[in-house]
Amino acid sequence: MLEIKNLHAKVEGKEILNGIDLTIGAGEVHAVMGPNGAGKSTLAAVLTGKPGYEVTEGTVLFQGQDLLAMSPEERAWAGLFLSFQYPIEIPGVTITAFMKAAVNAKRKAAGLPEMKTGDFLKLMKEKMAFVQMKPEFAKREVNVGFSGGEKKRNEIFQMALLEPSLSILDETDSGLDVDALKIVADGVNALRNPERSAIIVTHYHKLLEYVQPDFVHVLKAGRIVKTGGRELIDAIESKGFDQF
Amino acid sequence: MGHGKYIAPPKGMYQVQAGEILNLEFVVLPGESKDIDVSVDLCGPGAEAHLKGLYLCKADEKVNFRIVMHHKAPGCHSTQLFNGIAGGSAQVTFNGTIVVAPDAQKTEAFQENHNIVLTETAVVNTKPQLEIYADDVKCSHGATVGQLNQDELFYMRSRGIPESEAKTLQMLSFLSPVIPAGREEEIEQALRHV
Repeated sequence: MLEIKNLHAKVEGKEILNGIDLTIGAGEVHAVMGPNGAGKSTLAAVLTGKPGYEVTEGTVLFQGQDLLAMSPEERAWAGLFLSFQYPIEIPGVTITAFMKAAVNAKRKAAGLPEMKTGDFLKLMKEKMAFVQMKPEFAKREVNVGFSGGEKKRNEIFQMALLEPSLSILDETDSGLDVDALKIVADGVNALRNPERSAIIVTHYHKLLEYVQPDFVHVLKAGRIVKTGGRELIDAIESKGFDQF
Repeated sequence: MGHGKYIAPPKGMYQVQAGEILNLEFVVLPGESKDIDVSVDLCGPGAEAHLKGLYLCKADEKVNFRIVMHHKAPGCHSTQLFNGIAGGSAQVTFNGTIVVAPDAQKTEAFQENHNIVLTETAVVNTKPQLEIYADDVKCSHGATVGQLNQDELFYMRSRGIPESEAKTLQMLSFLSPVIPAGREEEIEQALRHV
Protein backbone atom coordinates (compact mmCIF):
# COMPACT_ATOMS: atom_id res chain seq x y z
CA MET A 1 0.00 0.00 0.00
CA LEU A 2 2.54 2.59 1.18
CA GLU A 3 6.31 2.37 1.21
CA ILE A 4 8.29 5.25 2.67
CA LYS A 5 12.07 5.07 2.33
CA ASN A 6 14.60 7.39 3.94
CA LEU A 7 12.24 10.36 3.81
CA HIS A 8 13.80 13.73 4.66
CA ALA A 9 11.79 16.94 4.57
CA LYS A 10 12.27 20.60 5.39
CA VAL A 11 9.87 23.31 6.43
CA GLU A 12 11.08 26.89 6.09
CA GLY A 13 14.62 25.65 5.67
CA LYS A 14 14.56 23.55 8.83
CA GLU A 15 14.90 19.78 8.57
CA ILE A 16 11.96 18.17 10.36
CA LEU A 17 11.95 14.65 8.92
CA ASN A 18 15.29 12.92 9.23
CA GLY A 19 15.06 9.65 7.35
CA ILE A 20 11.70 7.96 7.87
CA ASP A 21 11.27 4.34 6.83
CA LEU A 22 7.76 2.98 7.06
CA THR A 23 5.90 0.28 5.18
CA ILE A 24 2.16 -0.12 5.45
CA GLY A 25 0.42 -3.16 4.07
CA ALA A 26 -3.15 -3.45 2.86
CA GLY A 27 -5.65 -3.72 5.71
CA GLU A 28 -3.21 -2.58 8.38
CA VAL A 29 -3.71 0.15 10.95
CA HIS A 30 -0.53 1.85 12.13
CA ALA A 31 -0.26 4.25 15.04
CA VAL A 32 2.47 6.88 14.87
CA MET A 33 3.10 8.32 18.29
CA GLY A 34 5.59 10.88 19.48
CA PRO A 35 6.08 14.00 21.53
CA ASN A 36 5.21 17.47 20.26
CA GLY A 37 7.62 18.60 17.58
CA ALA A 38 8.66 15.06 16.61
CA GLY A 39 7.50 15.59 13.02
CA LYS A 40 4.17 13.76 13.14
CA SER A 41 2.12 16.46 11.44
CA THR A 42 4.94 17.15 8.98
CA LEU A 43 4.83 13.50 7.93
CA ALA A 44 1.07 13.77 7.35
CA ALA A 45 1.52 17.04 5.41
CA VAL A 46 4.31 15.65 3.19
CA LEU A 47 2.28 12.54 2.37
CA THR A 48 -0.71 14.62 1.28
CA GLY A 49 1.35 17.17 -0.66
CA LYS A 50 0.79 20.32 1.38
CA PRO A 51 2.60 23.28 -0.23
CA GLY A 52 5.53 24.66 1.76
CA TYR A 53 7.10 21.30 2.61
CA GLU A 54 10.27 20.43 0.75
CA VAL A 55 11.28 16.81 0.40
CA THR A 56 15.08 16.73 0.23
CA GLU A 57 15.68 12.99 0.11
CA GLY A 58 13.87 9.68 -0.04
CA THR A 59 10.98 8.05 -1.87
CA VAL A 60 7.34 7.29 -1.22
CA LEU A 61 5.44 4.69 -3.22
CA PHE A 62 1.65 4.55 -2.89
CA GLN A 63 0.13 1.50 -4.55
CA GLY A 64 3.21 1.35 -6.72
CA GLN A 65 3.04 5.00 -7.84
CA ASP A 66 5.51 7.76 -7.02
CA LEU A 67 3.41 9.66 -4.49
CA LEU A 68 5.72 12.64 -4.23
CA ALA A 69 5.34 13.39 -7.95
CA MET A 70 1.56 13.69 -7.64
CA SER A 71 -0.52 16.81 -6.92
CA PRO A 72 -2.70 16.82 -3.78
CA GLU A 73 -5.82 16.15 -5.88
CA GLU A 74 -4.16 13.26 -7.72
CA ARG A 75 -3.25 11.74 -4.36
CA ALA A 76 -6.90 12.00 -3.30
CA TRP A 77 -8.03 10.35 -6.54
CA ALA A 78 -5.55 7.53 -5.92
CA GLY A 79 -7.24 6.88 -2.56
CA LEU A 80 -5.34 8.95 0.00
CA PHE A 81 -7.20 10.91 2.66
CA LEU A 82 -6.05 13.21 5.45
CA SER A 83 -8.21 13.98 8.43
CA PHE A 84 -6.90 17.44 9.32
CA GLN A 85 -5.70 18.27 12.79
CA TYR A 86 -7.22 21.73 12.29
CA PRO A 87 -10.00 21.43 9.69
CA ILE A 88 -10.25 24.51 7.47
CA GLU A 89 -13.29 26.78 7.29
CA ILE A 90 -14.57 27.57 3.80
CA PRO A 91 -17.04 30.46 4.05
CA GLY A 92 -19.63 30.52 1.29
CA VAL A 93 -19.27 26.86 0.31
CA THR A 94 -21.79 24.38 1.71
CA ILE A 95 -20.82 20.88 2.78
CA THR A 96 -23.09 19.54 0.02
CA ALA A 97 -21.40 21.60 -2.72
CA PHE A 98 -17.96 20.77 -1.34
CA MET A 99 -18.46 17.02 -1.16
CA LYS A 100 -20.35 16.83 -4.44
CA ALA A 101 -17.39 18.51 -6.15
CA ALA A 102 -15.00 16.11 -4.39
CA VAL A 103 -16.95 12.94 -5.20
CA ASN A 104 -17.47 13.90 -8.83
CA ALA A 105 -13.84 14.94 -9.35
CA LYS A 106 -12.77 11.52 -8.11
CA ARG A 107 -15.29 9.80 -10.38
CA LYS A 108 -14.17 11.86 -13.35
CA ALA A 109 -10.54 10.91 -12.70
CA ALA A 110 -11.62 7.26 -12.70
CA GLY A 111 -13.47 7.73 -16.01
CA LEU A 112 -16.91 7.47 -14.39
CA PRO A 113 -19.88 9.77 -15.10
CA GLU A 114 -20.97 12.33 -12.50
CA MET A 115 -23.22 11.01 -9.79
CA LYS A 116 -26.89 11.97 -10.12
CA THR A 117 -27.84 14.63 -7.56
CA GLY A 118 -30.54 12.44 -6.01
CA ASP A 119 -28.15 9.51 -5.59
CA PHE A 120 -25.49 11.76 -4.14
CA LEU A 121 -27.85 13.31 -1.58
CA LYS A 122 -29.02 9.86 -0.52
CA LEU A 123 -25.45 8.68 -0.06
CA MET A 124 -24.57 11.81 1.86
CA LYS A 125 -27.54 11.42 4.17
CA GLU A 126 -26.53 7.85 4.91
CA LYS A 127 -22.93 8.80 5.75
CA MET A 128 -24.01 11.73 7.89
CA ALA A 129 -26.28 9.47 9.90
CA PHE A 130 -23.37 7.07 10.30
CA VAL A 131 -21.23 9.71 12.06
CA GLN A 132 -24.31 11.10 13.85
CA MET A 133 -24.19 14.45 12.08
CA LYS A 134 -27.51 16.28 12.04
CA PRO A 135 -29.05 16.53 8.54
CA GLU A 136 -29.07 20.34 8.65
CA PHE A 137 -25.27 20.32 8.46
CA ALA A 138 -25.60 19.47 4.77
CA LYS A 139 -26.52 23.09 4.11
CA ARG A 140 -23.99 24.66 6.44
CA GLU A 141 -20.84 26.30 5.18
CA VAL A 142 -17.86 23.97 5.55
CA ASN A 143 -16.67 24.09 9.18
CA VAL A 144 -17.86 27.68 9.66
CA GLY A 145 -19.02 28.11 13.25
CA PHE A 146 -18.51 24.39 14.02
CA SER A 147 -17.33 23.33 17.46
CA GLY A 148 -14.08 21.36 17.69
CA GLY A 149 -15.96 18.08 17.93
CA GLU A 150 -18.22 18.94 14.99
CA LYS A 151 -15.20 19.72 12.82
CA LYS A 152 -13.62 16.36 13.59
CA ARG A 153 -16.89 14.58 12.97
CA ASN A 154 -17.10 16.36 9.62
CA GLU A 155 -13.65 14.99 8.76
CA ILE A 156 -14.78 11.44 9.53
CA PHE A 157 -17.95 12.01 7.52
CA GLN A 158 -15.85 13.06 4.52
CA MET A 159 -13.66 10.01 5.01
CA ALA A 160 -16.70 7.73 5.10
CA LEU A 161 -18.06 9.33 1.95
CA LEU A 162 -14.83 9.22 -0.05
CA GLU A 163 -13.91 5.68 1.08
CA PRO A 164 -10.14 6.15 0.79
CA SER A 165 -7.77 3.19 0.65
CA LEU A 166 -5.34 4.93 3.00
CA SER A 167 -6.57 7.32 5.68
CA ILE A 168 -4.21 9.46 7.71
CA LEU A 169 -5.75 10.75 10.91
CA ASP A 170 -3.68 13.65 12.17
CA GLU A 171 -4.41 14.14 15.88
CA THR A 172 -8.08 13.52 15.17
CA ASP A 173 -8.52 12.71 18.85
CA SER A 174 -7.19 15.98 20.23
CA GLY A 175 -9.81 18.07 21.98
CA LEU A 176 -12.54 15.43 21.76
CA ASP A 177 -14.70 14.26 24.60
CA VAL A 178 -15.35 10.53 25.05
CA ASP A 179 -18.60 10.50 23.06
CA ALA A 180 -17.04 12.27 20.08
CA LEU A 181 -14.00 10.01 20.35
CA LYS A 182 -16.23 6.94 20.10
CA ILE A 183 -17.91 8.31 16.99
CA VAL A 184 -14.52 8.90 15.38
CA ALA A 185 -13.38 5.41 16.41
CA ASP A 186 -16.55 3.80 15.07
CA GLY A 187 -16.00 5.61 11.79
CA VAL A 188 -12.46 4.35 11.50
CA ASN A 189 -13.36 0.82 12.55
CA ALA A 190 -16.27 0.62 10.12
CA LEU A 191 -13.93 1.40 7.24
CA ARG A 192 -11.52 -1.34 8.26
CA ASN A 193 -11.28 -4.09 5.72
CA PRO A 194 -8.54 -6.13 4.06
CA GLU A 195 -8.04 -3.50 1.34
CA ARG A 196 -8.02 -0.36 3.46
CA SER A 197 -5.30 0.93 5.70
CA ALA A 198 -4.92 3.77 8.16
CA ILE A 199 -2.24 5.78 9.88
CA ILE A 200 -3.29 7.21 13.21
CA VAL A 201 -1.04 10.04 14.28
CA THR A 202 -1.37 10.91 17.93
CA HIS A 203 0.55 11.75 21.07
CA TYR A 204 -2.18 10.35 23.18
CA HIS A 205 -3.33 6.78 23.79
CA LYS A 206 -7.07 7.37 24.17
CA LEU A 207 -8.18 6.80 20.55
CA LEU A 208 -6.05 3.65 20.44
CA GLU A 209 -8.23 2.10 23.12
CA TYR A 210 -11.09 2.14 20.63
CA VAL A 211 -9.16 1.55 17.41
CA GLN A 212 -6.76 -1.33 17.81
CA PRO A 213 -3.61 -0.70 15.78
CA ASP A 214 -1.64 -3.56 14.24
CA PHE A 215 1.63 -1.68 14.64
CA VAL A 216 2.82 1.17 16.81
CA HIS A 217 5.73 3.44 15.83
CA VAL A 218 7.48 5.98 17.99
CA LEU A 219 8.57 9.09 16.11
CA LYS A 220 11.23 11.30 17.68
CA ALA A 221 13.28 14.09 16.14
CA GLY A 222 12.07 13.17 12.67
CA ARG A 223 12.87 9.45 12.77
CA ILE A 224 11.08 6.30 13.78
CA VAL A 225 13.04 5.14 16.80
CA LYS A 226 10.94 2.15 17.83
CA THR A 227 8.35 -0.13 16.25
CA GLY A 228 6.24 -2.68 18.05
CA GLY A 229 2.73 -3.75 18.90
CA ARG A 230 0.20 -2.59 21.46
CA GLU A 231 2.64 -3.10 24.32
CA LEU A 232 4.39 0.11 23.18
CA ILE A 233 1.26 2.13 23.97
CA ASP A 234 1.36 0.90 27.55
CA ALA A 235 5.09 1.61 27.80
CA ILE A 236 4.53 5.19 26.57
CA GLU A 237 1.60 5.57 28.91
CA SER A 238 3.64 4.60 31.95
CA LYS A 239 7.08 6.03 31.13
CA GLY A 240 6.57 8.69 28.44
CA PHE A 241 8.67 9.22 25.31
CA ASP A 242 12.00 9.86 27.06
CA GLN A 243 12.74 6.15 27.31
CA PHE A 244 13.25 5.86 23.56
CA MET B 1 -37.61 56.55 -8.94
CA GLY B 2 -38.59 52.88 -8.97
CA HIS B 3 -38.29 50.38 -6.19
CA GLY B 4 -36.96 47.59 -8.39
CA LYS B 5 -33.35 46.62 -8.95
CA TYR B 6 -31.66 47.49 -12.14
CA ILE B 7 -28.24 47.44 -13.65
CA ALA B 8 -26.80 50.89 -13.55
CA PRO B 9 -25.35 52.63 -16.57
CA PRO B 10 -21.68 53.51 -16.07
CA LYS B 11 -22.31 57.17 -15.49
CA GLY B 12 -25.21 58.68 -13.69
CA MET B 13 -26.59 61.05 -11.15
CA TYR B 14 -29.52 59.95 -9.09
CA GLN B 15 -31.78 61.96 -6.84
CA VAL B 16 -33.76 59.92 -4.36
CA GLN B 17 -36.74 61.67 -2.84
CA ALA B 18 -38.43 61.19 0.52
CA GLY B 19 -39.49 57.58 1.13
CA GLU B 20 -38.06 56.29 -2.16
CA ILE B 21 -35.68 53.36 -2.47
CA LEU B 22 -32.98 53.15 -5.12
CA ASN B 23 -31.33 49.80 -5.85
CA LEU B 24 -28.39 49.77 -8.23
CA GLU B 25 -26.29 46.84 -9.36
CA PHE B 26 -23.02 47.09 -11.24
CA VAL B 27 -21.42 44.18 -13.08
CA VAL B 28 -18.12 44.47 -14.94
CA LEU B 29 -17.01 41.27 -16.64
CA PRO B 30 -13.69 40.54 -18.36
CA GLY B 31 -13.25 41.92 -21.84
CA GLU B 32 -13.52 45.64 -21.30
CA SER B 33 -12.08 48.58 -19.46
CA LYS B 34 -14.64 50.73 -17.77
CA ASP B 35 -15.06 53.97 -15.87
CA ILE B 36 -18.01 54.00 -13.56
CA ASP B 37 -18.90 57.37 -12.18
CA VAL B 38 -22.03 57.55 -10.12
CA SER B 39 -23.37 59.98 -7.61
CA VAL B 40 -26.45 59.50 -5.52
CA ASP B 41 -28.15 62.29 -3.63
CA LEU B 42 -30.49 61.27 -0.86
CA CYS B 43 -32.66 64.40 -1.01
CA GLY B 44 -35.72 63.67 1.09
CA PRO B 45 -36.17 62.29 4.60
CA GLY B 46 -36.15 58.49 4.79
CA ALA B 47 -34.73 57.97 1.30
CA GLU B 48 -32.71 54.81 0.77
CA ALA B 49 -30.04 53.70 -1.67
CA HIS B 50 -28.51 50.24 -1.93
CA LEU B 51 -25.61 49.68 -4.30
CA LYS B 52 -23.96 46.39 -5.14
CA GLY B 53 -21.06 45.93 -7.48
CA LEU B 54 -19.13 43.02 -8.90
CA TYR B 55 -16.06 43.23 -11.09
CA LEU B 56 -13.80 40.70 -12.71
CA CYS B 57 -10.81 42.08 -14.54
CA LYS B 58 -7.99 40.44 -16.42
CA ALA B 59 -5.22 41.16 -18.93
CA ASP B 60 -4.46 44.90 -19.02
CA GLU B 61 -8.00 46.05 -18.31
CA LYS B 62 -8.55 49.19 -16.31
CA VAL B 63 -11.63 49.54 -14.18
CA ASN B 64 -12.32 52.69 -12.19
CA PHE B 65 -15.14 53.26 -9.79
CA ARG B 66 -16.04 56.66 -8.47
CA ILE B 67 -19.05 56.56 -6.20
CA VAL B 68 -20.36 59.50 -4.23
CA MET B 69 -23.18 58.92 -1.78
CA HIS B 70 -24.49 62.23 -0.55
CA HIS B 71 -26.81 62.21 2.44
CA LYS B 72 -28.58 65.56 2.21
CA ALA B 73 -31.67 64.90 4.34
CA PRO B 74 -32.25 63.36 7.77
CA GLY B 75 -33.05 59.71 8.42
CA CYS B 76 -31.69 58.34 5.14
CA HIS B 77 -30.10 54.94 4.79
CA SER B 78 -27.44 53.79 2.32
CA THR B 79 -25.51 50.57 1.87
CA GLN B 80 -22.75 49.80 -0.60
CA LEU B 81 -21.00 46.50 -1.19
CA PHE B 82 -18.46 46.15 -4.00
CA ASN B 83 -16.50 42.89 -4.38
CA GLY B 84 -14.03 42.35 -7.18
CA ILE B 85 -11.26 40.13 -8.48
CA ALA B 86 -8.27 41.33 -10.48
CA GLY B 87 -5.99 39.06 -12.47
CA GLY B 88 -3.42 39.53 -15.22
CA SER B 89 -2.02 43.03 -15.01
CA ALA B 90 -5.40 44.62 -14.50
CA GLN B 91 -5.67 47.91 -12.66
CA VAL B 92 -8.63 48.67 -10.45
CA THR B 93 -9.33 51.83 -8.53
CA PHE B 94 -12.21 52.26 -6.18
CA ASN B 95 -12.99 55.73 -4.85
CA GLY B 96 -16.01 55.73 -2.66
CA THR B 97 -17.10 58.79 -0.77
CA ILE B 98 -19.90 59.17 1.69
CA VAL B 99 -20.87 62.76 2.46
CA VAL B 100 -23.25 63.51 5.32
CA ALA B 101 -24.59 67.08 5.26
CA PRO B 102 -25.02 69.06 8.48
CA ASP B 103 -28.83 68.62 8.36
CA ALA B 104 -28.70 64.88 7.71
CA GLN B 105 -29.08 63.68 11.30
CA LYS B 106 -29.96 60.02 11.96
CA THR B 107 -28.10 59.00 8.82
CA GLU B 108 -27.10 55.37 8.43
CA ALA B 109 -24.44 54.86 5.79
CA PHE B 110 -22.28 51.81 5.19
CA GLN B 111 -19.75 51.05 2.52
CA GLU B 112 -17.56 48.02 1.92
CA ASN B 113 -15.11 47.20 -0.83
CA HIS B 114 -13.36 43.82 -0.90
CA ASN B 115 -10.80 42.69 -3.44
CA ILE B 116 -8.85 39.60 -4.39
CA VAL B 117 -5.75 39.96 -6.52
CA LEU B 118 -4.76 36.80 -8.39
CA THR B 119 -1.35 37.84 -9.68
CA GLU B 120 1.61 39.92 -8.61
CA THR B 121 1.03 42.25 -11.53
CA ALA B 122 -2.60 43.10 -10.84
CA VAL B 123 -3.07 46.32 -8.89
CA VAL B 124 -5.99 47.43 -6.74
CA ASN B 125 -6.23 50.84 -5.15
CA THR B 126 -9.17 51.32 -2.88
CA LYS B 127 -9.96 54.58 -1.16
CA PRO B 128 -13.09 54.75 0.93
CA GLN B 129 -13.76 58.19 2.37
CA LEU B 130 -16.18 59.61 4.86
CA GLU B 131 -17.04 63.29 5.13
CA ILE B 132 -19.41 63.76 8.01
CA TYR B 133 -20.81 67.15 8.97
CA ALA B 134 -23.66 65.91 11.21
CA ASP B 135 -23.20 64.48 14.71
CA ASP B 136 -25.97 61.91 15.16
CA VAL B 137 -25.04 59.35 12.50
CA LYS B 138 -24.07 55.70 12.08
CA CYS B 139 -21.46 55.35 9.38
CA SER B 140 -18.80 52.82 8.59
CA HIS B 141 -16.59 51.88 5.74
CA GLY B 142 -14.16 49.07 5.15
CA ALA B 143 -11.83 47.96 2.42
CA THR B 144 -9.70 44.86 2.00
CA VAL B 145 -7.29 43.61 -0.64
CA GLY B 146 -6.22 39.99 -0.30
CA GLN B 147 -5.35 36.84 -2.14
CA LEU B 148 -7.02 33.46 -2.48
CA ASN B 149 -6.74 31.58 0.78
CA GLN B 150 -4.06 28.90 0.38
CA ASP B 151 -5.26 26.80 3.33
CA GLU B 152 -8.75 26.60 1.83
CA LEU B 153 -7.31 25.65 -1.55
CA PHE B 154 -5.21 22.86 -0.07
CA TYR B 155 -8.14 21.56 1.95
CA MET B 156 -10.29 21.34 -1.19
CA ARG B 157 -7.48 19.79 -3.25
CA SER B 158 -6.83 17.20 -0.53
CA ARG B 159 -10.42 16.06 -1.08
CA GLY B 160 -9.80 15.65 -4.80
CA ILE B 161 -11.15 18.95 -6.10
CA PRO B 162 -8.77 20.07 -8.88
CA GLU B 163 -6.88 23.29 -8.20
CA SER B 164 -8.66 25.29 -10.92
CA GLU B 165 -12.07 24.23 -9.66
CA ALA B 166 -11.09 24.92 -6.05
CA LYS B 167 -10.14 28.45 -7.09
CA THR B 168 -13.42 28.90 -8.93
CA LEU B 169 -15.39 27.72 -5.89
CA GLN B 170 -13.51 30.11 -3.67
CA MET B 171 -13.97 33.08 -6.00
CA LEU B 172 -17.64 32.27 -6.42
CA SER B 173 -18.17 32.25 -2.67
CA PHE B 174 -16.30 35.57 -2.40
CA LEU B 175 -18.52 37.16 -5.02
CA SER B 176 -21.80 35.51 -4.01
CA PRO B 177 -23.11 38.46 -1.94
CA VAL B 178 -22.92 40.72 -5.02
CA ILE B 179 -24.04 38.37 -7.81
CA PRO B 180 -27.35 39.62 -9.24
CA ALA B 181 -30.17 37.07 -9.10
CA GLY B 182 -30.25 34.83 -12.14
CA ARG B 183 -26.70 35.58 -13.28
CA GLU B 184 -24.89 32.91 -11.23
CA GLU B 185 -24.01 30.71 -14.19
CA GLU B 186 -22.81 33.59 -16.33
CA ILE B 187 -20.52 34.77 -13.53
CA GLU B 188 -19.26 31.23 -12.93
CA GLN B 189 -18.36 30.88 -16.61
CA ALA B 190 -16.59 34.26 -16.56
CA LEU B 191 -14.62 33.18 -13.48
CA ARG B 192 -13.16 30.23 -15.34
CA HIS B 193 -11.48 32.66 -17.72
CA VAL B 194 -9.98 35.17 -15.31
